[in-house]
Amino acid sequence: MSEPATHFELFGLPQAFVLDAGELDRRYREAVKLVHPDRFVAASGPEQRAAVERAAALNEAYQVLKSPSRRALYLLNLQAALDEEATVQDPEFLFQQMEWREELEELGNSADFAAIDTFRQRLIRARQDVDQEFSGVWQDPAQRPRAERLVRRMQFLDKVLYEVRQLEERLDDF
Amino acid sequence: MKKKTMSLVQIVEPDAPAASGQPRLAVGIDLGTTNSLIATVREGQVVPLPDEQGCFALASAVRYLQDDSVSVGHDARQCASCDPLNCILSVKRLIGRGVEDVQQLGEQMPYRFQAGESHMPLIETVQGAKSPVEVSAEILKVLRHRGELALDGDLFGAVITVPAYFDDAQRQATKDAATLAGIKVLRLLNEPTAAAVAYGLDRQAEGVVVVYDLGGGTFDVSILRLSQGVFEVLATGGDSALGGDDFDHVVADWIVQQSGSSTDLSPGEQRTLLRMACDLKEALSQAESVTASYGDWQGELTRSRFEQLIEPLVSRSLRACRRAVRDSGIDTGEVTAVVMVGGSTRVPMVRERVAQLFDCQPLTDIDPDKVVAMGAAIQADILAGNQSGNNDLLLLDVNPLSLGLETMGELVEKIIPRNTTIPVSRTQDFTTARDGQTAMALHVVQGERELVSDCRSLARFELRGIPPMVAGAAKIRVTFQVDADGLLSVTAREARSGVEAHVEVKPSYGLSDEAVSRMLEESMAHAEDDRKARGLREQQVNAGRLLETVRVALQTDGDLLDVAERALIDEQLELLEQLASADDQGAIARQVQKVNQATHEFASRRMDATVRRAFAGRQLEEL
Repeated sequence: MSEPATHFELFGLPQAFVLDAGELDRRYREAVKLVHPDRFVAASGPEQRAAVERAAALNEAYQVLKSPSRRALYLLNLQAALDEEATVQDPEFLFQQMEWREELEELGNSADFAAIDTFRQRLIRARQDVDQEFSGVWQDPAQRPRAERLVRRMQFLDKVLYEVRQLEERLDDF
Repeated sequence: MKKKTMSLVQIVEPDAPAASGQPRLAVGIDLGTTNSLIATVREGQVVPLPDEQGCFALASAVRYLQDDSVSVGHDARQCASCDPLNCILSVKRLIGRGVEDVQQLGEQMPYRFQAGESHMPLIETVQGAKSPVEVSAEILKVLRHRGELALDGDLFGAVITVPAYFDDAQRQATKDAATLAGIKVLRLLNEPTAAAVAYGLDRQAEGVVVVYDLGGGTFDVSILRLSQGVFEVLATGGDSALGGDDFDHVVADWIVQQSGSSTDLSPGEQRTLLRMACDLKEALSQAESVTASYGDWQGELTRSRFEQLIEPLVSRSLRACRRAVRDSGIDTGEVTAVVMVGGSTRVPMVRERVAQLFDCQPLTDIDPDKVVAMGAAIQADILAGNQSGNNDLLLLDVNPLSLGLETMGELVEKIIPRNTTIPVSRTQDFTTARDGQTAMALHVVQGERELVSDCRSLARFELRGIPPMVAGAAKIRVTFQVDADGLLSVTAREARSGVEAHVEVKPSYGLSDEAVSRMLEESMAHAEDDRKARGLREQQVNAGRLLETVRVALQTDGDLLDVAERALIDEQLELLEQLASADDQGAIARQVQKVNQATHEFASRRMDATVRRAFAGRQLEEL
């Protein structure tokens, strides 16, 4: 059996961190129209099963490529497997992390939607900075440890952004 | 390995394919809690199909009579009070549910329940114990009959709608009911998606559509994005305990309070009061003020007072809307259309508040009670291949609830989070906890909470035959696959040893495959010989069709196989061809299976090749 295609190959996209999100969306829709099980309602059993598998593979690849943190992690894993359980030391980021955590906690008590939004904007900018830095280092084997730390930072920012959303939801429920 | 998804029943398909000019007869069915509808596309027009009296809605009521006959519809509903134990109403609230769930509904359901196989509630009737699947099948049979009469032929298949929040067990049970009614399910479709299709929003170029569905007992909201002919569900949400019935309750409470009457009402008095409240509510959709009288009391209910009463309920629905918006990652400003579904959206205040939230006038011109069946009919027509060429709309749905496995400490490990586009397949590795452990119990659950006890149990199964190893050495790959109908199948295998272990999934709340096939056989009144002859004939047709499709595929894409692979497939096809002309049904079936296995990889490669061809030559210009 041939090598399974990478997520990038599936969409005929170059293997890169910087990616045209609109183009990815377009190619996903084009591809999923070809392999979705809805196109094989009257087909044979193997074709129907293959359609479910292919559509599932496309959906998975799309989800990974769409998210910068998952895309970054995937790229590093293509170079060399990354131990996701390992603890990574990142002292310069640790202080920042603690600050954000504290801030989030205070916002939780204030119920100030405008302040929450400002906080979110700051997180988004921080994530853009991390993304930018990652795109400059990931291809350089000498900077691999740096790249791994940056992926961890992206994941942390995703998580805080998710918590901000949950906070808004909680406040909205009253 | 055994999968949970059913694949046992082969339903005879009309042989003429759509390409030969004759359209395949396909229908859309809205299997509702209170009423059900069937619709089809005729000469390019979507039409709901009426019964002989010209009535479109079929009351979702089934009555089992002493003389072994079954009555479905309005007449059955009329008998609900005189023959309550044998008249089953609102069976949709029971389908795919467990005995415990049903006990929670106990007060509103007068039936006598008994626990059936795999915790499924059975309703005791004069014709014996009936499962919700069987009751639903009775409704579907009537609709199927109506469709076949109207279209003058056997149905190719149907798209059946389910609420977006329906879980795996409820979807599976709905599909089983259709199978039992002799209907081939082309697709289970979420009701809100169907409504959006009915409005022809797929013919718009691009946009974000919100579907606001406020029914009698539930509220449902979906956010969809349309782009390049792909209708993608971004998020669904709702409140399964919020509906128009709650409007009636607040009005009824208001009457009791205003009139100073006793709050201690008999069930009969309560029904009368709620009926009156409902009438007032409906009248207020037109009138600014209505007069109410209850006992000696008489009073006036203005629309603004009514709106004050229902305000908290409407706000709750809007909160669920905002949550869905957040889940979808869109901005309310991006919304280009809002579709209203369900009778309760006739209340003016509901329309106003929804319009305000999304800054967009809601679409209301299709009857909110028919819109779902009509959308389902359009999708059925597309799936049957009747619209190929001029409509290549594709609907992408999401799974409404997270799916996971129980892990140590009764915690849930989520494998597929909610709102993931389906079909989807995810694999996670687990390992053994003890030295020499040869079996592992897996518990599949559904829900958003951390604790197993707060989630819904879908299935339990065991993986046996793991070779003895030290704790933590075994690598058990568990794969969750959700198909395009939202149905889950789970497989588990021990990877490190290379030994494939056996897995059995028993649905916790559904019918087993065996039970469905047994019921089907029982329901077929054919003599034994008839049945055999028919079975053989079906198997032969099946084999012939398979031979043809594989050969066509080999002609066009044979170069995807190497010589050895090609030889293997040819050999299996040859064998099938020989067997298909003989009369050993079992041997044909086994050989069909072998051909399926032998061509699976080929089918996958063909699909990959199709996608590659689509992007061929485009990579260069972009690099």
